[in-house]
Amino acid sequence: MVPNYTYHRLKILIVFIVCLTGFGILMGRLGYLMLFQSAHYTALAEELHERERSIKAARGRIYDANGTVIADNRTVCTVSVIHSQISDADEVVKVLSEQLELDEVSVRKKVEKISSREIIKSNVDKAVGDAIRVFELDGVKVDEDYKRYYPFGSLASKVLGFTGGDNQGIIGLEVKYENYLKGQNGMILTQTDARGVEIDAAAEGRIEPVDGNSLYLSLDMNIQKFVEQEARKVMEQKQAKKVSVIVMNPKNGEIYAMVNVPEFDLNDPFTLNVPIDTSSMNSEEKQELLNQMWRNPCINDTYEPGSTFKIITAAAGLEEGVVSLTDTFHCPGYRIVEDRRIHCHKVAGHGSETFVQGVMNSCNPVFIEVGLRLGVENMCRYFNQFGLLSRTGIDLPGEAGTIMHKAENMGEVELATVSFGQSFQITPIQLITTASSIINGGIRITPHFAVEVRNSEETVIEKLSWETGERIVSEETSETMRNILEQVVAEGTGHRAYLEGYRIGGKTATSEKLPRSENRYIASFIGFAPADDPEVIALITIDEPQGIYYGGTIAAPVVSNIFDNILPYLGIEKEELPEESSEN
Amino acid sequence: MAEQETRPKKKNRRQRYFDYSLLAVIVFLCCFGLIMVYSSSSYAAQVKTGDSLFYLKKQGVALILGFVCMFLVSRIDYHKYAKVAVLGYLLAFVLMILVNFTPLGIEYNGKKRWFGFGSTSLFQAAEAVKVAVILSMASLVNKFSRKIDTWKAQLLILILQAPLILLVADNNLSSGIILLGIVFVVLFVASRKKLRFFMAVAIVAALAVFVTVFSDKILELHILKEYQLERILLWKDPTSYALEGGHQVLQGLYAIGSGGLFGKGLGESMQKLGFVPEAQNDMVFSIICEELGLFGAICVILLFLFMIWRFVVIANNAPDLFGAMLVVGIMSHIALQVILNVAVVTNTIPNTGITLPFISYGGTSVVFLMVEMGAALSVSSSIRFER
Repeated sequence: MVPNYTYHRLKILIVFIVCLTGFGILMGRLGYLMLFQSAHYTALAEELHERERSIKAARGRIYDANGTVIADNRTVCTVSVIHSQISDADEVVKVLSEQLELDEVSVRKKVEKISSREIIKSNVDKAVGDAIRVFELDGVKVDEDYKRYYPFGSLASKVLGFTGGDNQGIIGLEVKYENYLKGQNGMILTQTDARGVEIDAAAEGRIEPVDGNSLYLSLDMNIQKFVEQEARKVMEQKQAKKVSVIVMNPKNGEIYAMVNVPEFDLNDPFTLNVPIDTSSMNSEEKQELLNQMWRNPCINDTYEPGSTFKIITAAAGLEEGVVSLTDTFHCPGYRIVEDRRIHCHKVAGHGSETFVQGVMNSCNPVFIEVGLRLGVENMCRYFNQFGLLSRTGIDLPGEAGTIMHKAENMGEVELATVSFGQSFQITPIQLITTASSIINGGIRITPHFAVEVRNSEETVIEKLSWETGERIVSEETSETMRNILEQVVAEGTGHRAYLEGYRIGGKTATSEKLPRSENRYIASFIGFAPADDPEVIALITIDEPQGIYYGGTIAAPVVSNIFDNILPYLGIEKEELPEESSEN
Repeated sequence: MAEQETRPKKKNRRQRYFDYSLLAVIVFLCCFGLIMVYSSSSYAAQVKTGDSLFYLKKQGVALILGFVCMFLVSRIDYHKYAKVAVLGYLLAFVLMILVNFTPLGIEYNGKKRWFGFGSTSLFQAAEAVKVAVILSMASLVNKFSRKIDTWKAQLLILILQAPLILLVADNNLSSGIILLGIVFVVLFVASRKKLRFFMAVAIVAALAVFVTVFSDKILELHILKEYQLERILLWKDPTSYALEGGHQVLQGLYAIGSGGLFGKGLGESMQKLGFVPEAQNDMVFSIICEELGLFGAICVILLFLFMIWRFVVIANNAPDLFGAMLVVGIMSHIALQVILNVAVVTNTIPNTGITLPFISYGGTSVVFLMVEMGAALSVSSSIRFER
């Protein structure tokens, strides 16, 4: 028997030490992998195991003042295939291409592509989706989804706006109130084994969707509809480029209607509303055309208001006390300011007239005089006081600011032109807001559409408050202005807006677009009723009418017609004896 | 120790020793192995066979058989093994020839590794050969003990073992490597020489480093073909060779990495749900890492280290060279398999199919391992010491 020598033991120890070293290295390697690389591999592994399926939250609906749904959701389906679960590829190709009316080759290509999920078609009608479900094909998924639907089509398109592919608001109220409307998508986190089969036990990762809140507007679709008809009628008659009308409550700023014809189809917002051949255009040019179509000129565009702005000059003059109703003026048909001869629209001149007659005649020299009496400093102060230098704060995106001279750059010529509404630009919404504030008793208002927000259970969760209360002119000035403007309609340039049985105030304007040489005009009229206690105010602007372009001739009758229909609708009764009621 | 045996002290009573620590580690590892086989295989078993206990049952039967073998072998005086060493060697030789060259060898996944008749496969030949090699090495070293330091004797031993190792390596490279490793370690321990062994290690290491570093150059110069270097290439960059086998390594790494410090908890592995292919086999250690974390993985490694330490103690105290060499062979077998398996799973070395002793699923492996354990226990019980 051979004994076990000492050197054997040494050798065995050496082997053990080598083993120890090997084990040590491996433990180090494990430590590195499981502590320092852990996050990396965990993320990779989870990506492998988890399949996220989002549950779309229904977007909040939008309702008009009568509670009619004007922006709704429709259920559409997304049909997709999961390659690893398909058992009969030929059958799948056949059924899907038949039901979805797609050609077999493209469907087969998608079905046979090795991917975790391949979308065959989205925005499929629910009926078609249900029909596909009936076949119970392995590996075919029909997921329901919501798509925005506008029951009124193009009505108030530039106000409401529309949503994009992810149901996110793109323009208009849809984007302004995105946070209220969008809701919160839910999610199903499923874990799958290597074959893509969901693991039942691991289904706890479910986040329920929260439906969006509903938005209630002051917009009244009946008024909107009628006003749009009228606007389209005058646009066609006068072959105008576009016509915009705003109808609102001058006391609290609630907008009843905002029409910008031509409108576009909200259910198909990426198709131009005018027949233009886009085949030769690049995508940028096409996008530019779409952007133009989506613009809301009442808010996004500025213009020279012209004579309608005389309301503001008159109010400033009266408030400042530089002019009184009985002051007399003389109009020779022009007025020389510094070295400039500024014409009145009536070349022959109005002759001798009082201030009230000057307003009724819309006489430029009268207002130049008032402006000059105010001086640059006061004019600028009133601009600021009336809120003309800031934005109105309307709840629509992209409101344009006022383009106005800087006080230090304003000479007498500039002052004179500003006085009758030229050489500076404001938005239509700014004009109607300021006019409202002057005639409503002198309180500045914020124009707005949204009134309240309700959750999906129809419970009011937020009453939207809109800034009011800042006084811009005194009660007396406001009342005086109402009287003067009523006379403009009763006997002055606005007489075509006269409506039997109603007391209507208003002011006409005919602005010449820049450059002046091209003789392009904007005819406009701003009117309100009843003149003693205004409940509704409307502004119409007709862009580039052909033929007769005077605001008093073509714009005022439209407002008269609108008032004739909407005043009874709003519950404002005709007065038998206007004189008596005015004394109340 | 040998001297102590020949001159026992009067006051102390002679007592037979039995290494209960080793037995405890064996039992623990086997039970732990069963749990891990169940945990890692139940989902795949349910999907494949409809019985989630499919692999567990088979492993349990093998384990019971293994324990019986261990018990029987441990009761036999290990000196009697020497008598069957030559027979065992010849049997192994015949077995390998039968498996490699006759229909008695059964092919799985393109490798003829199983011995059996027709459709019934009995066992994996290489596992039996390991036992035969360990036994024959101990016998050979014992026989040539006087001339063991000579080149002649060492080369003779190598030449005697070479045909068997080559027959195994033909179909099962990793088992061939392990057999070579066992022969190498036993020779190293038996001989007084050191330099030649260190030189051998150095040459192999240099070659490995060379092939690894210049694998791209070798490919460019067409010295070796891509499929021959495949394992090295996918070891260096498993993501790019996902289809060739990098997939298994990568999925194993995902499992290990997502374990973290304390793991996801027993049975909570995600990667075993078909991501790690045949998770209960070679890759079971990655599932241990995922479920029990770094803590559990290190505990398992320390258990193996403790087992190896027990072999060191038994070998050092073995009454004679034959017993010591037998245990050294067993020790090198276990150590090589554990180190190579963990190294493969952690992508420390290129992939080669080596199971984790006692834990990986595999009936043959567990039965023959238990035979070896019986032998080691038998040697331990021959240790005489004084109390």
